[in-house]
Amino acid sequence: MTSVLANIGRRWLSLSEGVGQMTLLTLTTWWKFWTTAPDRIEFMRSLYKVGVQSFPIVVVTALLTGAIMVIQSGQLVAQYEAYGLLGWGAGYATLREVGPILIGLMFSGRVGANNTAELGTMRITEQIDALRALAIDPIPYLLVPRFFAIVSMMFLLTLVGNLMALVGGTITSQFLLQVDWRLFVWSLREYLHLSDLFNGLIKSVFFGIAIATVSNHFGYHTSGGAVGVGRAVNSSVVFSAVSIFVLDFVIGYFLP
Amino acid sequence: MIRFEGIRKRHGAEWVLDGVSFEVPAGSQLGLLGPGGAGKSLLLKMAAGLVRPDEGSVSVMGRDLAHLNEVEMAELRLNIGMLFQNYALFDFMTVEENIAFPLRQEGRLSEAEIAARVDSLLKEVDLPRAHKSYPNQLSGGMKKRVTFARAVARKPPIVFFDDPTAGLDPVTSSKIFRMLNHGRMHTETTSIIITHDILGLQGICDHFVLLDHGKLVLHGTREDFERSERRMVRQFWDGTSDE
Amino acid sequence: MSAPAAQTPSSGPMSRSLAAVGGPLLMIGGELRDIFRMLFLTLYYLFRKPVRWRAVVEQGYEIGNRSLVFVTLVLGFLGMILIYQSAYQAQQIVGDLQLLGALFLQLLFREFAPTITALMIATRVGTGIAAEVGSMVVTEQVDALRMNNADPIQYLVVPRFVAGLVMTVVLSVFAVVVCFLAGMFVADRLFDVSPTTFFNTTLLTWGDLIAFLMKAFAYGIAVPVISAHAGLSAFGGSEGVGAATTKAVVNCSLAVVFLDFLLSGFAFVFLF
Repeated sequence: MTSVLANIGRRWLSLSEGVGQMTLLTLTTWWKFWTTAPDRIEFMRSLYKVGVQSFPIVVVTALLTGAIMVIQSGQLVAQYEAYGLLGWGAGYATLREVGPILIGLMFSGRVGANNTAELGTMRITEQIDALRALAIDPIPYLLVPRFFAIVSMMFLLTLVGNLMALVGGTITSQFLLQVDWRLFVWSLREYLHLSDLFNGLIKSVFFGIAIATVSNHFGYHTSGGAVGVGRAVNSSVVFSAVSIFVLDFVIGYFLP
Repeated sequence: MIRFEGIRKRHGAEWVLDGVSFEVPAGSQLGLLGPGGAGKSLLLKMAAGLVRPDEGSVSVMGRDLAHLNEVEMAELRLNIGMLFQNYALFDFMTVEENIAFPLRQEGRLSEAEIAARVDSLLKEVDLPRAHKSYPNQLSGGMKKRVTFARAVARKPPIVFFDDPTAGLDPVTSSKIFRMLNHGRMHTETTSIIITHDILGLQGICDHFVLLDHGKLVLHGTREDFERSERRMVRQFWDGTSDE
Repeated sequence: MSAPAAQTPSSGPMSRSLAAVGGPLLMIGGELRDIFRMLFLTLYYLFRKPVRWRAVVEQGYEIGNRSLVFVTLVLGFLGMILIYQSAYQAQQIVGDLQLLGALFLQLLFREFAPTITALMIATRVGTGIAAEVGSMVVTEQVDALRMNNADPIQYLVVPRFVAGLVMTVVLSVFAVVVCFLAGMFVADRLFDVSPTTFFNTTLLTWGDLIAFLMKAFAYGIAVPVISAHAGLSAFGGSEGVGAATTKAVVNCSLAVVFLDFLLSGFAFVFLF
């Protein structure tokens, strides 16, 4: 009995330690963001890398997502012969839920994992210690640009992605479901509001913050050689994914 | 026994190996020397059939490796033992299971015979009670000795050693060299040993090959190396440098 | 007539833009070819050589055990938010929540349960497999396997493949349950839809179940194979492991989304 308790206690302690580390790191990152002038080159590099890395994947995912949502809604709509609702059914879910979530997951996988892997490798090859030995503070140098790049790119990509998803949906509607695209677009404009789009975009910002925080933390605090890097990436994407779903629920519940 | 002919291998735009040819007669020990390291390990991996050259051919025991399919290659590998530079011990198995692995895969000995062989090997490498430990619990020197035991477990006629004493302290290094010597005197093995430790190897190797930037600089006996006046050879053999 | 002045073949703007498109396409094509090759080899070893069942059970335990909490959390929250949003909208537009549970169940089987579960498995297990196998590659353990007459695909990939496939199907079923219960909770608490009304299987058809199984199977095959492939193609030390892990999760996610699209379309055309 005591060993079970000890086990739970140990897990809880290590979890708390992890959360504490992550919080401290995030607060420090935020603080340095406002107080220190960031390295311009690193900044630009991060933006470019994150954007270029994730753009094609997000576009492809978004197109497919739109198509899938239309197919699924199509089945329901066909049952009730309510073709005018197809745009609404697919669009609403896409803009508010499925779009941001899938783009977030894809982004977490492509960018978050990569970020953690890079930082993790730098950590275990002692490059971060080397930076500090050269009197360069690693947090404004490494973490702030990445944080900023991830959050801003996530927002932009969700914006573009949502658009792409609607395009994908329209194409699918016309060619697979034989619902005229004009009807589909009319349905979108009729039933969807800007608030739906904004809702999804606000979620994406929070997802971006979560992904940036988590991936920075696990990369920066890696230990244990090559195996440790793999494990850090694993933890990073898992925590990002859970955060995305939890945040999705919270924002969806509290925001109209 | 082992023959390299006109080996060339490219990595990107550069030739990592550029026209290397030499032979290792049966029963002899060859020391493979040279700076860097990419070329030497690569040659060893080619002889083990793990890498294919872009040009040229590798023959082991009279058979051209390029002509063998996977099954024939597997059969040939029963005759080869390999000690990897970074130990390459299976970290999800105990020391005992690591050493027993080649024996079990061969399928020739019974479990009792395998256990006995593992026992005697561990005694030989001076790790008599390491059976149940996992690789990550061992020091670098101990891991090297386990790798050695695994490489020679099947008593193969051919053994490849990729830097057996890299990163080891002098005491452990001399232990390893003693094991290499011991192995040589008791069995008719052919071996290729990659090393930077020229002094340690002088007593063991019959002849040496010096590689530089993918090209073969000198192939000869110890006397050939001592007498050579070429700068590269002198630098490497005597351990001096220009600057 | 003389031929027009020739541009060197590799420098004109036309060939440059073709190269820009063609390059990635060729690379993707090459990757796909390697992945399918690995799939065939895996199946070959699965059916023609003895399977290491103990390793399968070990892997299955790893996968299932480690993913349970994760899948529960994710699908729980997803179920809650889906019902929340749908019920809210349905109240406004249709006014009647009778069929909410039934429709939700259908959608779960057809789409959300298998796909989201697969994405989560790709995240948790895919990275795990790639990291493990990748580490073994860069520490030369895979070479050591070959030297000791053990084929890496038979030794490493097959057990993970079998375990992954079984666990994906099992976890997908589990996901349906968790997600549905979460939705039921929200419907009951916030919208006064009683559980008995919510639990309505009248709309469920065989087509839904077949679509579910098809997807779970497809994902269960894709994720282990793609992750193992990413792991086995690692090179270059710890950077290589990081790159392999990233590649695994990206490729798996793309594959899941793409398969989802294909199978949804297929189901739409042939099953409904």
